[in-house]
Amino acid sequence: MAEAAQSLKPPEPAGQPILQLRNVDRIFDSFAAVDRITLDIYEREFFTIVGPSGSGKTTMVRMLVGMDKPTNGDILLRGERINDVPANRRPTCMVFQSLALFPHRTVGQNIEFPLKMRGVDAATRRKRALELLDQLRLPQSYYGKMVTQCSGGERQRVALARALAFDPEILFFDEPLSALDYRLRKLLEKELKDIHRETGKTFVYITHSLEEAMVMSDRIGVMNRGRFVQIGTPREIYGSPHSRFVSEFMGEVNVIEVRGEAGAVVDAAGTRFATPVVAADFDTGTLVVRPEDVRFVGAGESADNRLTGVIYNEYLLGSRVQYQVRVGEGQTFLVEKLRDQMPPGGPGSAVTIGWDARDSMVFPASRLQQ
Amino acid sequence: MNSTGRGVRFLYACLIAAFLLLMYLPMVTIALASFSRTRYFRFPIPAWSTNWYAEVFESLSIRNFFWTSVIIAVLVGLISTALAFFGALAFARYRWKGRKLFQKIVILPILFPQAVLGLALLLWFTAIGITPSWQTAVFAHIVWIAPITTLIIAIQVYSFDPAWEEAAFDLGATRLQVLREVTLPILTPGLIAGFFSAFLLSWANFPLSMFSSGADQTIPGWISAKVQAGYTPQVPAVGTLTMLAAAVIMGAGYGLVVLQARRRARAEAAG
Amino acid sequence: MSRASDFAAEAPAPLRAIRAPSRLASLGRWFAEPGVVAAAPLALLMLGGFLGPLLLVVVFAFMPGGTFSILQVPTLANFVEIVANSYYLSFLASLWLAALTVVICLVVCYPVAFAMVRVFGRHGSILALLITAPLFVADNLRLMGWVLFLVKGGVVSGSLQTWFGIEVDSMLYTSGATLFGLVYIYLPFMLFPIIMGISMVPEQMREAAFDLGATRFQVLREVDVPLAMPGILIGSLMTFILAAGSLTEARTLGGNAVTMIAMDIQKEFGFAQNWPKGSALAVLMILLAGALAVTALKRIDLDLIFGRK
Repeated sequence: MAEAAQSLKPPEPAGQPILQLRNVDRIFDSFAAVDRITLDIYEREFFTIVGPSGSGKTTMVRMLVGMDKPTNGDILLRGERINDVPANRRPTCMVFQSLALFPHRTVGQNIEFPLKMRGVDAATRRKRALELLDQLRLPQSYYGKMVTQCSGGERQRVALARALAFDPEILFFDEPLSALDYRLRKLLEKELKDIHRETGKTFVYITHSLEEAMVMSDRIGVMNRGRFVQIGTPREIYGSPHSRFVSEFMGEVNVIEVRGEAGAVVDAAGTRFATPVVAADFDTGTLVVRPEDVRFVGAGESADNRLTGVIYNEYLLGSRVQYQVRVGEGQTFLVEKLRDQMPPGGPGSAVTIGWDARDSMVFPASRLQQ
Repeated sequence: MNSTGRGVRFLYACLIAAFLLLMYLPMVTIALASFSRTRYFRFPIPAWSTNWYAEVFESLSIRNFFWTSVIIAVLVGLISTALAFFGALAFARYRWKGRKLFQKIVILPILFPQAVLGLALLLWFTAIGITPSWQTAVFAHIVWIAPITTLIIAIQVYSFDPAWEEAAFDLGATRLQVLREVTLPILTPGLIAGFFSAFLLSWANFPLSMFSSGADQTIPGWISAKVQAGYTPQVPAVGTLTMLAAAVIMGAGYGLVVLQARRRARAEAAG
Repeated sequence: MSRASDFAAEAPAPLRAIRAPSRLASLGRWFAEPGVVAAAPLALLMLGGFLGPLLLVVVFAFMPGGTFSILQVPTLANFVEIVANSYYLSFLASLWLAALTVVICLVVCYPVAFAMVRVFGRHGSILALLITAPLFVADNLRLMGWVLFLVKGGVVSGSLQTWFGIEVDSMLYTSGATLFGLVYIYLPFMLFPIIMGISMVPEQMREAAFDLGATRFQVLREVDVPLAMPGILIGSLMTFILAAGSLTEARTLGGNAVTMIAMDIQKEFGFAQNWPKGSALAVLMILLAGALAVTALKRIDLDLIFGRK
């Protein structure tokens, strides 16, 4: 366990920790939705929590903003314990999944809401609201428009403006982009990153899409079953996932059931695979290879690992092409190539595919029974 | 719409029309009867008169019953709406252990015969030592009407996104501010509908008033007594007036909701 | 690439002894929940204005006849008397009339509700308003309208006499008139739940059934009715119980043609001044309503009906 904690220790980004979790639990009945988490989030960073539904990420963010309390452990804001401070007294705020824009109010009234609650006078409120409309690239004429009249992207911006009007020290986001279509989501992801840089605030973002996390974050924490399974920069998460879970969470991967035997990795049929390091022996485990790391091996070319098969399907993904290759009984392999790379012939043609030893990711699931 | 042909549509329209005719026929008859000059109703009405209305307006006792009915209805409307507002939140908004049981218990009075409930309440009041009066009638009405109002408001609460309240709270509002700035305004149409329904149901109630109002009589109670003791066209005249009042109040409630929607639409147009 | 730490990272959260909070503390926390706080006023009203009175009725039912106190030795005498003196006949008559009322209301309301939701859905709110309005006019007043309509010399017999020379007698004070009065009064109580039930059926599901080759009748049998069942069930339940326990609703048109259970109860409480016996009769009504409501409500998800979720 101590060893694991060591390896999960995040790289130290610049700045001081602003938000710290110390052994935080959230237990419902006897189920730990958040399970003894210790985490530091640093000033001005864009930290993203990624996990599948039910991984505890929403429970976690609700505790961080003050809408739920930890069962055990402490949450510290700049070193001060804030477990029992309710949401309305915390200097943080959240953009909700449903955005939670007030349907009976105009865009302007929505943005001014936190200022009105604080007793700021109408003229100052209006001035600030108009500034924020500018900052979020919304026309000032939207000030008097009902939020129900706004499009999806506009509503996102209004929700963000409202949160910024609060002037929080940390801004939380609970999957606010999940309801939008792909194109708009991509656009807003980038805008959000801009806003992060312009405002210089700490952003904590929740999402189930590792792809989304990659685009925006300084650091990513991958959650599963109430715990962080890996915390690191996007580059680290992509380049060296700590587990099969993280590697699969990133997208489609090729998985081979393997065992470790006398320093080699072998599948059920006895095929040996070249791997970057010599693994300790293990009973069951997986070897994971990304589709983009697999290539078609022509005659005379070499590869550390080779498999032969037949192309079964071809999927166009825009700039890239994905091939589904049957390499044995019921076993298929995905190979992803850029469009301009040599097509190996259409479906039905026999091919040899291969990958380098350094692209084999081996995850033992249990130690060898001795 | 799956190919509803013109003919079928016409048949359905006739059906609805027949249904509405059935519903309104007795009310039309009452209105007709109130203008009959003769003391006993005969059809076709041989001679017309508005004298009975004049009598009604002059009658001090009817005025009394009218005010009793109004006071009861106003109190029932206000108290039921207040109870139902929180009741509907518990019914539809909050997730708590016991909610399903609460929902069922709230439905029960609606599923229970009013006359038997009225008698049970009469027994209850007497056993506790309370003399039935208009106050006990208010209580009896609320027992039956508050659950209905709760359902009406609950329908609106179901479409209420709890994140609205959470967001307001998160943005620094106090509990009271959340209620005043977010929860109440969004639920206003439901509250208006709830209040007016409660008022009108109380206004029209006879079975509960019969057993629970003691010596204080309401308009429906007076009508019932008068029909037994000696019918005169005063009865349909009073009946017609109560129907008119109900229509006016219903129209007012409907107008209020429409006005609110308009105001919002105007604000949208201005945006 | 592979690390020893993977074992720890992948392993499910180890089970730990989680200290169960004391029962008292969890009860205390329950009372502080916003749902409980919001429910409290209405729940207290139901306790003191509905469950309490009914419980008192039940207690009275076991008291010796004629007493006005609940501090007597409990007895079954009242129930014995109900059976011995055939008082249960009025109960059976009420059940029979209520069953007929339910059937007629169902047959009338289903097509009307269907038309309102599926055919004229766009005018739904105005139609709903028109059908709600009569509920805001006292039952006894509307029934008096029918009396004037049906009585000898009233609208029906008067018109027939004057314009066709046909002599008809009064159509009132028969068991048929009782039934008609009940049907008229309880039609809306059947209609509204059915409208809610039918609105719950997604149009796409019907279209899918048509698309898969179902005939109109098959769609009705396989899709419309089963999916609208919660509404139909609530409507039938409400109509049945209310009709079975009706008093003036049955008497105004029917007179004493049929003696309903509520009339007997009223007689014992009022004229006969025999609370225990009236209570014992009322207990029959409470048992009926309770048993039906509990069985039906068990199968119905109220969130689904009112929340459309």
